[in-house]
Amino acid sequence: MAETKVCEKKRKSLSSAKAAAVESKKKARKFERKARREEKKQRRVHRPGPRLSSSFRKEIGIQSPRDNAESNDDFDDEEERVRGDVFEYEEQVAEEETKKNRRFDPVDNYEYELPDDFEDEDVPSDDEERHLNMLHGITGMPLQAFEGGEKKKVIFSSVQRDVSDGKISIQDLLDPLHGKPGYSDLRKRIDQLEKKPMAVQPPLPKVEREKLERKVAYKHSSKDITKWEPLVKRNREAPTLYFDKDVNLGFSTVGAIASVFEPRTEFEKKMASLTRDPEVMEAHLKDGAKLLELNKLTVEDVKDRQGRLAKMRSLLFRHEMKSKHIKKIKSKTYHRILKKERLKAAVSNVEMDLEAAKEEAKKQEYKRAEERMTLKHKNSSKWAKRILKRGLDVQDEGTRAAISEQLNQHALLTRKMNSMKDSSSSDDDSDDDNDETDSEDVSKLLNKAKEKIVKVLEEKDEITETGVMALPFMQRGLKKKKEAADEEARCALEEYDLSLRQLDDNEEGNVTLKKTSGRKVFGTPGKQAQETNNQNKSDRGNSDSEDDFDNAEHVQSGFEADNVSQELQIQPDSLHDDPRQKSVFKTFDDIVKDPGPKTTFEVAIFASDSWRKMKTEDVVNVNKKKQATAKQALLPDPTPEEEVMYQNSNSDTDEETVEGDFSFNPVPEYELPSQADLVHRAFATDDVEAQFEKDKLDVLNEENPEPEKPVLLPGWGQWTNVQKKNGVPSWMLEEHEMAKKKREEALKKRKDANLRHVIISEKTDKKAEKLLAKSLPFPFTSKEVYEQSIRMPIGPEFNPAISVRALNRPEVIKTAGVIIEPIKFEEVDPNENPDEPKRIIQNKNSSSSKNKRKSSKSKKSSGSKVSKN
Amino acid sequence: MAKSDASEGSKDPGLIKLVEEQQVKVPEKKKPRAEQDVSDLLDMKMQKYLRGEAANLEVLQDKKLKTQLAIKEKLYGQSAKAAAKHEQWLMPNEEGFLEAEGFEKTWRITQQSLLNEVDANSSRKAFDMILPELGPYRMKYTSNGRYLLLGGRKGHLGLLDMLSFDIVKEFQVRETVRDVEFLHTEELFSVAQKKYLYIYNRHGTEIHCLKEHGTPLRLQFLDKHFLLASVNTFGQLHYQDVTTGEIVANLRTGLGRTDVMRMNPYNSIIGLGHSSGKLTMWKPTSAKPLITMFCNPGPVTAIGFHSNGHLMATAGMGCRIKLWDIRKFEVLHSYFGHASTLDFSQKGLLAVGDRTHVNVWRDYKGDQRYGRYMTHEMVKGYQVNNLVFRPYEDVLGIGHSMGISSILIPGSGEPNFDSWVANPYETKKQRREKEVHSLLDKLPPETIMLDPKEIGTVKQPRKKEKKSKKEMEEEMEAEVETAKAIKLKKKTKGRNKPSKRAKKKEEEVLKAKRPFVEQRLKEEQPFKKQKMMAEGEAELPVSLQRFARKQAA
Repeated sequence: MAETKVCEKKRKSLSSAKAAAVESKKKARKFERKARREEKKQRRVHRPGPRLSSSFRKEIGIQSPRDNAESNDDFDDEEERVRGDVFEYEEQVAEEETKKNRRFDPVDNYEYELPDDFEDEDVPSDDEERHLNMLHGITGMPLQAFEGGEKKKVIFSSVQRDVSDGKISIQDLLDPLHGKPGYSDLRKRIDQLEKKPMAVQPPLPKVEREKLERKVAYKHSSKDITKWEPLVKRNREAPTLYFDKDVNLGFSTVGAIASVFEPRTEFEKKMASLTRDPEVMEAHLKDGAKLLELNKLTVEDVKDRQGRLAKMRSLLFRHEMKSKHIKKIKSKTYHRILKKERLKAAVSNVEMDLEAAKEEAKKQEYKRAEERMTLKHKNSSKWAKRILKRGLDVQDEGTRAAISEQLNQHALLTRKMNSMKDSSSSDDDSDDDNDETDSEDVSKLLNKAKEKIVKVLEEKDEITETGVMALPFMQRGLKKKKEAADEEARCALEEYDLSLRQLDDNEEGNVTLKKTSGRKVFGTPGKQAQETNNQNKSDRGNSDSEDDFDNAEHVQSGFEADNVSQELQIQPDSLHDDPRQKSVFKTFDDIVKDPGPKTTFEVAIFASDSWRKMKTEDVVNVNKKKQATAKQALLPDPTPEEEVMYQNSNSDTDEETVEGDFSFNPVPEYELPSQADLVHRAFATDDVEAQFEKDKLDVLNEENPEPEKPVLLPGWGQWTNVQKKNGVPSWMLEEHEMAKKKREEALKKRKDANLRHVIISEKTDKKAEKLLAKSLPFPFTSKEVYEQSIRMPIGPEFNPAISVRALNRPEVIKTAGVIIEPIKFEEVDPNENPDEPKRIIQNKNSSSSKNKRKSSKSKKSSGSKVSKN
Repeated sequence: MAKSDASEGSKDPGLIKLVEEQQVKVPEKKKPRAEQDVSDLLDMKMQKYLRGEAANLEVLQDKKLKTQLAIKEKLYGQSAKAAAKHEQWLMPNEEGFLEAEGFEKTWRITQQSLLNEVDANSSRKAFDMILPELGPYRMKYTSNGRYLLLGGRKGHLGLLDMLSFDIVKEFQVRETVRDVEFLHTEELFSVAQKKYLYIYNRHGTEIHCLKEHGTPLRLQFLDKHFLLASVNTFGQLHYQDVTTGEIVANLRTGLGRTDVMRMNPYNSIIGLGHSSGKLTMWKPTSAKPLITMFCNPGPVTAIGFHSNGHLMATAGMGCRIKLWDIRKFEVLHSYFGHASTLDFSQKGLLAVGDRTHVNVWRDYKGDQRYGRYMTHEMVKGYQVNNLVFRPYEDVLGIGHSMGISSILIPGSGEPNFDSWVANPYETKKQRREKEVHSLLDKLPPETIMLDPKEIGTVKQPRKKEKKSKKEMEEEMEAEVETAKAIKLKKKTKGRNKPSKRAKKKEEEVLKAKRPFVEQRLKEEQPFKKQKMMAEGEAELPVSLQRFARKQAA
């Protein structure tokens, strides 16, 4: 407060150059103050709404300028927080004022006013002004140029003035920002905030929240799954699926590989220069005689080589002898020492090599198992038993030691070893438990490892210069090994460094780091924020609730998005459902409507109709009649009048009579009857037709026997007197009639019902039934479609070679040995026309990121398509 | 069963090409070369190979099936198109018919004038073989038309190679020979002799004597099924599997002796003509004839089947030659005349033999209305015994009382042979190969049915075989008996009274009866309802009917 006042004063002093002016201004100020005080009182009375407690107010009074100085954003935050406060604090009357129990001395005037002529002592003199004037004088620039730094102070003062009123409105804080670049945005946001109701609901119970989360997650994942739809659809509808692999290895032969070989290392280059020497090549290309010339060797070379070989041989021989000698040594102590050395070497090897360690562990395990099974070292040997029988006390020192040694051995062997795996896992567990020390531990470990490696690197290798090791190739080999090891060590070192650095970074950036999980989690980020921003939390009183609100909003928006997606997703389903149901009904209806298939005979009838229509005058045979001779009676006469058709109603006899009218028939004068007449007469006695009809009736009766006539049995069913009166009982008659009707219906349904001259057997051939489908095969729902689909033969005899393979391709083609991998997402155009058999070639290196981006588009398109449908 | 005619390299199978003359003209390709016509032709052929129309896929609800069927249909279309193109470009030979100009009539052209015009190769095919001794001859060609088998009534058998005009084998069995028939190749043939049926090989060695057939009168070989069918003097129809020797069927026609027998090449059904004017059609798996038709008032003398399976020709003593549509069993056309033998050629010409006359009829317009095409008169006294068209050649073989003859009938044979089906020029190796293949493709006898396209279709729901009343009653009685036989428990406290036990038993019986009674009621109800309705209407006198309550429809 004091500071601000000082500032104010300064300003005042800037403006008041003359004492009189100062005087008058002071008076004015006094008035002003009074007026403001009045105003303040009025405000206290009238203004409702949230108020800051006095202590808060005080705090703000102190802090606000500092805040202002820091950043505008903070200032805004503060503002918002103030605005967002819902909990109103009713300030009680100060204890001093309550005058309870007279604890405090009564004071008349709480608001002490400074006397008018009061001046702060530590008000700076007019030095600054003078200084400014001086600057002005020197530079000749306007005073305002030098006042730039103090502009802010003006603002503060204005703010301060409001604060002194005890109530800060956002308007107050905003006003000074008027005209600043971000002002309009800020203004809008604040307006929005003001419009919204500020009540915040209490957070949902955990169960509910999780339910919601799951719901949203489900929606999300189901939406995610829809992207597979077109792909799956395409695969389902493809006539053939191929499971192939690109088996193009590039090179087919060793020669092909060799032909592309290019020398890279020095050695290879040297070899290449020798082998691909143009001279040599030329010699090879020719008869090869020149090769001999090129093969010349100098005497020195040969000698040298021989010498080297001899040396090598002798060395090897000596090594051999030495090993033989060693093998022959029978000294136990020597062998013990040797064994120990070997063990040591093995242990060190175990430490170095993971593989060896594993093996070692296995061995150990095996030994342990063996020991546990045989109990070899548990005084079970003959020797041990004998000694124990005699008593241990009787034995000498050595034997006792041996026994105890043996028992030790047993304990050692049977003790459960912590295998490497176990230890590491337990370590991990412990690590997990104490998270805080985790990073430190890791860094420690890393440092240790690093040091070790450095040591190893620095270590000078002392290669034994004797024995076999002295051989040049051995030395070279060792060197190489060492180099490789060094390389590895260096790599490891780098890795350690990297990880160390990362660890450090992690520690620093832990605050900002967020965990990301595969499944999206809603609502939780608020908690995380809480954890991370612990320090700030105290400052920002209501940050928590606000965050929650935000999250709720987020959730809501998620709902909305998912709802949209679900709509898209659900629609196709509903679309699917209805027609399917319909189809089921339809098919039932169909079945009901036409119980039997259309017979071929019906088809034939139709066809015959068309034939009849096609009948036209045969031009060729028009004048046949005129040329008719006696011989021609034999010949067919294709004119329509000459031929007679069996109509269903017509009998054969009718036909005969019609034939009798034929004018063209040669009727010699001496012959009285016509040919037809003669024929008729010839077969007149046979009456084959009647015979046939009788036959037909017999057949019909056989298949549908005629019902028996009701016979009156005296006393059967009714009393005889009643029978006499009424005749055959009515129920018998009824029954008979019913049977008759049934038979008639059955006869009407026969194929030959309308064909008088034909008997078509209705018997089903049981043997041939196995050639028919018992029921409609699965995917088909209509018999017609099924029968149409099998109308085409697909064998090689019936189709040209081009199409046979395509027609007979199996549903799945898989080359032997190819592993069928799980389906991979792939961009599929849902509107694509599946003309060609689909081909899936499994490719491991198919890019997915590109596809994903496209997939979103395709999803949209597919969705729109579905909705149209 | 229709095989595609897509043949690889087709040689000219002896198509008769006549040089254009005043009287006779063989039509050359008269198609206009316009592209439109070509495409039209292609479309027509494609339709043939599509074998019917695709089903309406729009009806399908199953999307997967729909797409798959659509793809399949597309493939069918492609296949048909390819086949049509094959036919158009790789099968250039067309049958050439005689065509008359102006006043000329094709049936006036004699063999003599024809032979003057045809090329030397074709003219060789017309010949007369006079064999007066061993009297009326029957003849058969192999399915590829290369070999001819002739059998004289008095025991003369001969196997001829018609390509080289060699006699493969000629021998005498010194017995009545009633019919001859090739088996699947020329290697084996069967002969219906005086008492038994014999099988010989091409060297004349007797392979089998089939006594089960009785005294066969006529023989037919079903080449796709490897069945030898014979009808004997008792009117029994035998089917014997020539691969296993098993008698597949022995069917008694019960219609007396017959020597009219023909196989329908479309569905391998055997047609028999009987003396009562009936024609019966048989298959080996049914004891009763599939079809019994009344054709003629007099006995049936000859039958002929068109290879497309729709058309049948019958001739009877009643002086009628009838063409039947055997899909609906109706007479298409009826002609006046006698015929002792009928035969359809591959291209649909119908040969009618009667005494010494041979007539060939042709379906001019494709409407099954046959008209005279060619005639041939045998020498007086030479009675025609049987007529056989030679496959893949424009030749008609005539077996008559004085030997055999062969005349040229332009346009009778299929000009483009399919070597997968039958190859007139096949070598020994090809023959052997084909034999194996045909054996592997042998069809079981069940596949013989009226409509072979039925195979694979959905079985018709069999008529629910209702039990007769008697059976029902028997069943019910049995149930009642079992119900009565149930032993009741001994109960206490007055529940074991005889009256109670009797009641209990009665209940059991009623329970057993109930389902039967219910079923019967169910069956009878609809009829009763109908009857009631009918009676109700009938009872009212006419004057009062207007007052009857109208039932809401």
